[in-house]
Amino acid sequence: MLESPSHSDDDLLRLISKGNEAAFVEFYRKHQTSVYRFALHMSGKTEIAEEVTQDVFMTVMSVAKQYDAQRGSAAAYLHGIARNFVLRCLERERPYVTILDDAENQRSDALADAQDVLSELARNERIESLRRAVLALPPAYREVVVLCDLNEMDYAEAAAALGCAIGTIRSRLHRARALLMEKMRAAERCTV
Amino acid sequence: MNPEERELMAGLRALASDGPRQASVELETRLIAEFRQQSRLRRTRAWISAASGGAIAAAIAILVWIGPVVSNPGAAPPDQAVLADEAVADFYPLPDADALPPVESAMVVRVQLPMASLESIGFPIDTDRAADPVEADVLLGQDGLARGVRLVE
Repeated sequence: MLESPSHSDDDLLRLISKGNEAAFVEFYRKHQTSVYRFALHMSGKTEIAEEVTQDVFMTVMSVAKQYDAQRGSAAAYLHGIARNFVLRCLERERPYVTILDDAENQRSDALADAQDVLSELARNERIESLRRAVLALPPAYREVVVLCDLNEMDYAEAAAALGCAIGTIRSRLHRARALLMEKMRAAERCTV
Repeated sequence: MNPEERELMAGLRALASDGPRQASVELETRLIAEFRQQSRLRRTRAWISAASGGAIAAAIAILVWIGPVVSNPGAAPPDQAVLADEAVADFYPLPDADALPPVESAMVVRVQLPMASLESIGFPIDTDRAADPVEADVLLGQDGLARGVRLVE
């Protein structure tokens, strides 16, 4: 194992490129949650989240030495890789996701008709409704909401991860939140 | 921030903390196993390239040392040239060998090479086994430069 419990990401990636297993484990444990959560919120599916997390860290194994700290944090670097894998998965699963979303909507409508509003259920329903609204956003808006609002990444890191300007992140986030509020209003109108 | 925005932000915070927090333990186990395998492969590759480099260097040194004896100029040069031609014919020519002087006296050195290195001279290889070592005979000319290669198996 490594002597010091916490190394910088830079050091860890350098050690990983030399085949240091302890460094890989430390790096994985440090970052897997945010990569996994990003993929989960982007796709809405645990299988995709798991697959993307695996692909991201497999990529790290082979290209760790190409990491350049000048170009952004390791978190931004990982999310940049994760984003490409997620978009590829979404592209691959697009027809299936659409069908599933329709089925989910129908099931949710039926539940809303059939059940009284208990507070916990209502809370869960609101979360589910918001989750669907996030998943229904166009990918360019969804990714900024997931990175900044759900994964609590700052604008600069999100910009580095997505390869765009901070201003673009701000404007997309503003627009994405407006879209979410519209969707939530529409959902509330449906359930009333 | 208006009440609707506040409600949205509260909802997003609730969503952020909802659902599974991390990947499965099995994934970590799989990734560590993969990392070990890749590290082993990397070490093997480095060893093979060092070993084959060392073997070729040793062969050249031997050739330089015994070269005058092997290519004894007094001993029927035409026959030896024929023998050298026949020896060369058994070998798969290396890409740049045509530009080298004809072989007058040859020496064969057995080395271990990574299978991937054979691809560059036109051998079809199984990409899954690219890093596997393979035994080959390397034909060196009187100048110590490699002219061809022959797989042992």
